[in-house]
Amino acid sequence: MKKVLAVMMLSMLWSAATFAAGTEYRMRVDGLACPYCAYGIEKKLKAIEGVGKIDVDLNAGLVVVDVAEGVALTEPQMKTLFQDAGFTYRSMTEKSLDGGAKNE
Amino acid sequence: MNRYGGYHVLCDFFTIPVLIAGSVVMGAGSAWSAPITFNTALPVAKNEFLVREQFIINRSSDDPTNLNRDRTAKAAVSVLGYGVNGKLALFGVLPYRDNELKLTVAGQRIKRSASGFGDLTVFGRYTVVQRDQPGRNFRIAPFVGIKAPTGDDDKRDAMGVLPPSVQVGSGSWDPLVGVVSTYQTLDYQIDGQISYQINNKANDFEAGDVARLDGSLQYRLWPRTLGGGVPAFFYGVIEANLIHQQKNQVNGQSNSDSGGTRLFLTPGIQYVTRRWIAETAIQVPVVQNLNGDALENDYIARVSVRFNF
Repeated sequence: MKKVLAVMMLSMLWSAATFAAGTEYRMRVDGLACPYCAYGIEKKLKAIEGVGKIDVDLNAGLVVVDVAEGVALTEPQMKTLFQDAGFTYRSMTEKSLDGGAKNE
Repeated sequence: MNRYGGYHVLCDFFTIPVLIAGSVVMGAGSAWSAPITFNTALPVAKNEFLVREQFIINRSSDDPTNLNRDRTAKAAVSVLGYGVNGKLALFGVLPYRDNELKLTVAGQRIKRSASGFGDLTVFGRYTVVQRDQPGRNFRIAPFVGIKAPTGDDDKRDAMGVLPPSVQVGSGSWDPLVGVVSTYQTLDYQIDGQISYQINNKANDFEAGDVARLDGSLQYRLWPRTLGGGVPAFFYGVIEANLIHQQKNQVNGQSNSDSGGTRLFLTPGIQYVTRRWIAETAIQVPVVQNLNGDALENDYIARVSVRFNF
């Protein structure tokens, strides 16, 4: 039991460390207007390897995505993804999850 | 459509299932809550599925004739949608029906009924206009489909072949065409559609073609003020359904006791979350300008749930 707990703790620490060194993308998306919008977007983003936390803010028209270190989201990729989900991608900013801004 | 057996006078009843079928089909862009009484506006994204299960009770009992007809049509309607891509979506609509007709014949009250899977309707919708802005969107999408005669149209009871109003299937291939439009903001959503279904002949019976004009307003009642994140929405809904049906043809003769124009006003409520939607509405007839002794609707009640997966 102790070994299992130790493995779980280590894996959580590793995961936290990986995402702490990752990137946060803040994407502006047009067309978001109801809760039903969020699910399809989250599902498509989660299908990308290395994507962690996803926050959708309907009121602000924002989709915030944390990705692990070494993973990058590109504009063409996001344009297609949001188009497939039924929305229009506008722009994104990114910043390092350890605090430094990468692109504003 | 259906067989009418020896009960020619009952052929006008076919109006009702046609209206239900039409309503169910029409009861269908890609990201909004959608109307309750028609399916053509249902949102489904690329490579995703949507399921709506709707339970409908349609009561008609205000019979102007001595037959004192009383009809109850229950249906569990399954709708499956699939997003082929961001523009094209395909839908299938399959009802399970339980129809019952009571009437007085030669001084005796009789009951005729049938149940089973009805006619499958398939249709495709293609979004030709998509305008997205912060917190709002607008879509226009034509659709085209066909109702296939998958339901039994020759069910019998001890008195013989059941009339069309009781049969669960029509027996005919009936194409439909229309266009649906949606404007949605964070506060409300408006949907409108216009459609036409051509009903063809089967078993010497041809139901009148059906033209529809439907509108729906969904207004967010809760939360009153939007914060961050993705809260569930509670909508108040009001819909209107203007339905005109031509007269039925029986053995090539127009049935003067069939067809006409109905206007329903439909209050309802809708609870919308990320994954599922629950909704209910009741269609109240406010105008029924029907031909001859065609049977009027009392109400049509709907309860449904919807999932994305």
